[in-house]
Amino acid sequence: MPQPLNSKEQALFRLVVRSYEDKQYKKGVKTADQILKKFPKHGDTMAMKALILNAQGRTEEAFALGKEALTADMKSHVCWHVYGLLYRAAKNFEEASKAYKFALKLEPESAQIQRDLAVLQVQMRDYPGYIQSRRAMLQARPQIRQNWTALSIAYHLDGNLTEAEKVLSAYEGTLKQTPSRLDLEHSESVMYKNSLIAEQGEYQKALDHLEDAAKYNLDRLAVMEARAEYLQKLGRNEEAAKAYRALLDRNPDHQAYYEKLTQALGISDDDVKARKAIYDEYAAKFPRCDAARRLPLDFLSGDEFEEAAESYLTLMLNKGVPSTFANLKHLYSDDFKKEVLPELAENYLESQGADASSKDKGEAAALYFLAQHYNYRLSRDLDQADEYVNKAIEKDPKSVDYNMTKARILKHRGDIKKAAEAMDYARTLDLRDRYINSKAAKYHLRNNDNEKALKTVGLFTRADTVGGPLVDLLDMQCVWFLTEDGEAYARRGNTGLALKRLQAVANIFDVWQEDQFDFHTFSLRKGQIRAYVDMIRWEDHIRDHPFYSRAALAAINIYLDLAAKPAENGVNGEDTDEALAKKKAAKKAKKEQQRLEREAAEKQAKQDPNKASSSQTDEVKKKDDDPLGLKLAATEDPLGDAVKLLAPLLQVCPKSLEAQHAGFEVYLLRGKYILALRCLRAAIEIDPSSPKVHEQTIAFRHALNHATDLPAKVLEVLKEEFKAIEPSEDLKKVNDAFQAKHKSSPPHQLAALRAQHILGEDKARTNKEVLALLELPEIEFAHALEALELLQKWRSSEIETFRKAAIAKWPQVTRLE
Amino acid sequence: MDIRLLTNADLPLIQHANLENLPENYFLKYYLYHSLSWPQLSFVAVDVSRPQKSPYDYPKIVGYVLAKMEEEPSDGIPHGHITSLSVMRTHRRLGIAEKLMRQSQLAMVETYQAKYVSLHVRVSNVAARHLYEDTLGFKNEKTEAKYYADGEDAFSMRLDLDDIRKQINEAQEQEGQNGEAADEGEAVGEVGRDPKAASERQVKVAVGRSLGVGDLVEKDESKH
Repeated sequence: MPQPLNSKEQALFRLVVRSYEDKQYKKGVKTADQILKKFPKHGDTMAMKALILNAQGRTEEAFALGKEALTADMKSHVCWHVYGLLYRAAKNFEEASKAYKFALKLEPESAQIQRDLAVLQVQMRDYPGYIQSRRAMLQARPQIRQNWTALSIAYHLDGNLTEAEKVLSAYEGTLKQTPSRLDLEHSESVMYKNSLIAEQGEYQKALDHLEDAAKYNLDRLAVMEARAEYLQKLGRNEEAAKAYRALLDRNPDHQAYYEKLTQALGISDDDVKARKAIYDEYAAKFPRCDAARRLPLDFLSGDEFEEAAESYLTLMLNKGVPSTFANLKHLYSDDFKKEVLPELAENYLESQGADASSKDKGEAAALYFLAQHYNYRLSRDLDQADEYVNKAIEKDPKSVDYNMTKARILKHRGDIKKAAEAMDYARTLDLRDRYINSKAAKYHLRNNDNEKALKTVGLFTRADTVGGPLVDLLDMQCVWFLTEDGEAYARRGNTGLALKRLQAVANIFDVWQEDQFDFHTFSLRKGQIRAYVDMIRWEDHIRDHPFYSRAALAAINIYLDLAAKPAENGVNGEDTDEALAKKKAAKKAKKEQQRLEREAAEKQAKQDPNKASSSQTDEVKKKDDDPLGLKLAATEDPLGDAVKLLAPLLQVCPKSLEAQHAGFEVYLLRGKYILALRCLRAAIEIDPSSPKVHEQTIAFRHALNHATDLPAKVLEVLKEEFKAIEPSEDLKKVNDAFQAKHKSSPPHQLAALRAQHILGEDKARTNKEVLALLELPEIEFAHALEALELLQKWRSSEIETFRKAAIAKWPQVTRLE
Repeated sequence: MDIRLLTNADLPLIQHANLENLPENYFLKYYLYHSLSWPQLSFVAVDVSRPQKSPYDYPKIVGYVLAKMEEEPSDGIPHGHITSLSVMRTHRRLGIAEKLMRQSQLAMVETYQAKYVSLHVRVSNVAARHLYEDTLGFKNEKTEAKYYADGEDAFSMRLDLDDIRKQINEAQEQEGQNGEAADEGEAVGEVGRDPKAASERQVKVAVGRSLGVGDLVEKDESKH
């Protein structure tokens, strides 16, 4: 039981609570101390003070005091509730939920505690727990519709659709009259129920319900789409066709409607004429519609394709639509179309003649199209691309688009330095356009010029952000910049800043996951249930986004490198030069950090003392104590850090070859053989012909053959599960056979060479074969860069020889230098 | 290029498009606030023909309109507001912005009975002004001095949505719904809130990602 206070202290306690709610933290602590002076063991006051300390960022003190409060008053629900809140803030949801449950046991009537627990449960996806909580909340206040809806959602998320529907119907049964047509909450609830019925596969029932209860529903688009879908599922094709026509009238630029309409009309895929006729009808009806004109190019072939493509291309080039090539390039997977499209563009170009004075229409547009055509991976001829883009630039030297394409062509040549210059020139042609500014910054980063890149983006970030452009980009969660910046630092060998940026991306994903928290209650208030459920489903796999995997994989690679060379302080005496360079770099970094700290201190000193903080509340903005990532780079456990990024990746991207390959490397180095094998087997499942699969299979057998201290049980499992190469086989021979089999393929050769290194093959041989790669007819400069990186990693004696030979072959490629 | 309703899974690439194109940026939670408050109002243009690079590709966003209803309209009239509209430079001249806007405006009327839609545009942004004024029929209401963080003025524009309402009513009558459709019932909830009860003053709040949704509601857009 909470200890009783005098009325004066009671008032003070209420003030403490209010101070906390108003974020007046200093005042709150002061008031709490006043009470504690008189009642030093007052649990509730200690707990409230702990909560405030926590909000001030004094986490450790807060936890200590929170525990003390509990010892003083085990029977206080306030103490337990606060204890839960502390854990909740520290994102330890397990402990938080335990504490809330204790609090709730002591105070079963507390709506606040019950709500906090419920939100935590849905955030943790503890659906059975959530159902229980929502049921209790419904029983406490059944007159509120939200409580019924919430219980229905809980069942829905738990996969119990019938029960979810029943709860909604039960509430509807209590309604004395139908709510107004303009009642948003009711309108949405009807559509939610309808989606639940459909999700159970009961389309007839769903259709009946829709036509009865959703006749005047406020969400017209949803009603129309659902109705069309149900009719089609029920085989009522005539009505379905009519429904899809109504949708096309509303939005003729949505591909799926055309496909569904075609299906409803019973037109088979082979009946190209009939399919085309539908699109023609809408092209005539909607002169500004692009989809109806473009989509038939996907399924037409031969003369029909040529005819349609010509009229589409002519229309687009006449208008000077810059995205014409981007909208057609997917057709290049078809060899015929890849041939026809440039021919049509050439013909168009010739027909334009001398009066083509426009800077971006007609002739200019055709030149631009052809420049992009020859710059595209599947039809690349960079000399031709250059020729066309130069002609286009001649027509309009100030065109951002043409100059941007010129930069792209240079990038594809590997001349990243000139590419960055060209893109920066394009930027100067339209200083008010952030798109071209972003591209210029990106190219600076590709050119490893982090400083110029930051300066460039800084022209558009908010000038008043304390800490400069980078802080603004972090605040605004600018993933692309952080990733590219990190990758550039990694290429420059600045491990600290590379990890700093890439970890920042991972942190952004933590924030995005945390962002849901408030919506568990907000969405119930707003009543937009389907959107909320859609959000929950998306959040469940949020880290399968390429934004995450790219940054995570880059960071994992860095951690792998760190783990592979633990003795870099020159202890083993081998690489004194490198050790010296490292020491120098570390010293420089330390100086830089001191400079930053000094600047920050000066800035603070200069601040107007009357404006103590930016707002009246005492909210704290956590100071970054490792701005250069030195601590990240000095990690004692690089593989442990890698696993933290890897685990979610493997969970949500099991079909990603890169993720499985990275997983193998990490687990093998950690000596987690069973986990490594699991990744290897998944990789084989995805692509058995991946060169990396060969390399890792060899690496795994080799590691097993040399593992000495494996428990018998593990050995048994591995023996059972790994049969790709028998222990008795000669791995060098296996590797040689692979190498011979894929003589002409640079990626396979690279994999075999890496395997050689793992097997401890004669260095002279490996070196010689790396050099020989340059003679392969299929080699591209990207392979040479990979080979160079390998030689550097192995500290080979042939680095310079290789570099020279490669530069002779590709004199333009900046990164070989 | 495909025009469709926005889904939550689109948000990271919408945010990306915004960061790449425009100087007014928002953290993801602000996008979530839109998609979870008015899921019918925001639309995207996606490049559907782009070849997939991995099984986890998300559709590439080449344009979006992020729209909302004014939570507490100072004039008491329910109306929509365009928070952000952007089309990638590489996808201009296809009419994408106009198409996105028209989808959003229709939904504003159907779902929320919006009477008009408002927006802010940089005084210097000739292309956008052309779209709003000439193509869509927006009227300039007033100039807001130094509206943008970099000190530029904004035109505050609005478009009356009566025509859309008329079209909807006509279509419903044509369907022969016995004139029932004309009855709009009683205003409820936020739609009918007393304008005088709502504070006209915009509350300025600090920008930070730890804000609750409640903080987002009162967000002063000029600070972005």
